[in-house]
Amino acid sequence: MTKKQLALLLLFLSPLIPQTQAEIKHIEMRVEGMT
Amino acid sequence: MKQHLGRQAGVQNVEVSLRDGKVDVTPKEDGRIDPAQLLKATYDSGVSVAELDMTARGNIVKDASGNLALQVEPNQSFTLTSNELSKTLEPLANSATQVTVRGQLYKKPDGKGKKKADTSAPLKFLVLEIQKKE
Repeated sequence: MTKKQLALLLLFLSPLIPQTQAEIKHIEMRVEGMT
Repeated sequence: MKQHLGRQAGVQNVEVSLRDGKVDVTPKEDGRIDPAQLLKATYDSGVSVAELDMTARGNIVKDASGNLALQVEPNQSFTLTSNELSKTLEPLANSATQVTVRGQLYKKPDGKGKKKADTSAPLKFLVLEIQKKE
């Protein structure tokens, strides 16, 4: 496989690789006085 | 309250448990959610918040004053309250390592009386659990 083919393969596969990005994943509140 | 919170920016879903007095908020994957805004919206709907916990992934950064913070967006970070767990994160400050942590952003002040919480004060993040370092 040439370098060009490898680069193209990585280019097409990159959207399929899950990216680890910073984010707020979950928020939980304990509340009082809710009816 | 569910509808009120569901209208806030970055909120995907809100689950309310009347029996436990618990409200679960799921953020949108690509949205920016502001916990301080959620806290204010909850108070505005006439409900008092006893505690607000958050699970987040981000980078540990150190500001000019030497305080550690969890950065979850380029323009959103939470200063860490110093404890044993936050000290273990100090070596990761300003590195590329991302951490997933669970912690407390707000707790109603102790004491009796219906004193309204100050929702305008910046929230500090007390790390309760380090779930992942990657």
